[in-house]
Amino acid sequence: MAKQFKSLHPTKFYRDYLNHDIRPDGRLISKFRPVIINIGSIATADGSALVRIGKTTVICGIKAELCPPKSERPNEGFLICNVDLPPLCSSKFRPGPPSDLAQITTRFLADLILNSACIDLKDLCIVKEKLVWCLYADIICLDHDGCIIDACLLVLLTALKTVRLPGVEYDAAIDKKTINEDEQKSLSIYNTPVSTTYAMFEDKVITDPTAEEEEISSGLLTIVVKNKELCSIHKPGGSPLSEEKLYDCISETINHADLLITLINTAVAEQND
Amino acid sequence: MEVENNTNLLMRDVNCKLGIFTRPDGSVFISQGETAVVVGIYGPIEVKLHKMLINKASVETHYCPKSGTPGISDKLCESILHNVCEAALVSTLYPRSSILIIIQEMQNRGGILSCAVNGCCLALLNAGTDMKFLFASSSCGLDDEGNFHLDPDNLFLEKATASFIFVFDSVGKGLIASHTSGSFNLAQYQNALELCKKASEGIFDFYKCMIKKDLQDKI
Repeated sequence: MAKQFKSLHPTKFYRDYLNHDIRPDGRLISKFRPVIINIGSIATADGSALVRIGKTTVICGIKAELCPPKSERPNEGFLICNVDLPPLCSSKFRPGPPSDLAQITTRFLADLILNSACIDLKDLCIVKEKLVWCLYADIICLDHDGCIIDACLLVLLTALKTVRLPGVEYDAAIDKKTINEDEQKSLSIYNTPVSTTYAMFEDKVITDPTAEEEEISSGLLTIVVKNKELCSIHKPGGSPLSEEKLYDCISETINHADLLITLINTAVAEQND
Repeated sequence: MEVENNTNLLMRDVNCKLGIFTRPDGSVFISQGETAVVVGIYGPIEVKLHKMLINKASVETHYCPKSGTPGISDKLCESILHNVCEAALVSTLYPRSSILIIIQEMQNRGGILSCAVNGCCLALLNAGTDMKFLFASSSCGLDDEGNFHLDPDNLFLEKATASFIFVFDSVGKGLIASHTSGSFNLAQYQNALELCKKASEGIFDFYKCMIKKDLQDKI
């Protein structure tokens, strides 16, 4: 009976649940889903990770290539991230050019990397004006069940921490690159931005919504924090939110961030052992 | 039509002209300092079959950059404009139809998003589309000494450590949209929010003034 009721009146179905401070999946309103991190999932990539937040699954592979730098920034490398939401991950996406959501998420991640300064592009320089590293971070969503930004950011940071770059010697005179595979050096990650997403449903704020909850909600809010500092508060429209609720969400995010950072660090430390 | 904005708010001058085009149901030219956009609204109009919603109007937003095809940063801008307009419109009044919002960037000297949001609200008012509330956007930037600058231009934004864009509604003065760049702490965010909230009240007054003037001209 509940199944039929849900498909006929999805909003009423959720409202009835939320009035009792519980969600259809058994979580309380402000409860996060379990997060699973797996690293080194792609053996052929220079760095990779897989993250699951509840059922949301994203995988990230980082490929490192050598290339000449841009002439206006001769001592900076590149970090190019790309989020792919294939038709496989949700019925919302169709084959063809990247969907709006994929483009927005890509842009948002690129902005976040820049804003948080978690990686210094100067570290990717090998020889000024001649040779730099270009890191391509491809993030593919395997299962879209809400909070795609959170999952993408988490997987990107974890994958970046697993990147091992070989030593490169460059002879500018004869344009010869010698790659030393024995020397494996990791990237310096200066801070770890992590995010959490909230959905507004009528006068309630739901933590870590699933795709279904995102669908019926009247707006989303994503908060990104690093080292107790805020990195981004992104609310792309939707129903108005009072300031008290916003500040509650921020403090909740700051508390949850510690857990996520510990999780990333534990996963990365296990690889190093 | 020109209104000098309250100088103690330290916003750039906001100018606008309503009903500049004849074909759209509502149109506006708005400039904030040297940033300028043109917004046109068609709606409710006939909807393409695959976009039709049986219980409400589908809101379509198109953000056109000054030159070239929209890039991914324009898409981000477009999604914010779309979500803000969709929240404000009473789309359930026009089922099986479409409301088309076209935003054309004319010149970007910083704060294009706030200018576009304000332009959308004025254009929707000009079109007479039913709305739950009005919305107004203001932006501010934070320099490396911790000073706030309201409505910064692109020269300031290049050096700024953080910048904030907020959209508020006119009824409960709630936060509809928030977009930030750079890093900042909670106190700085709260200050920016307060500052922009005050500035947005000036914009709501500006709307009122503009609509009044527009109606008087028509008589």
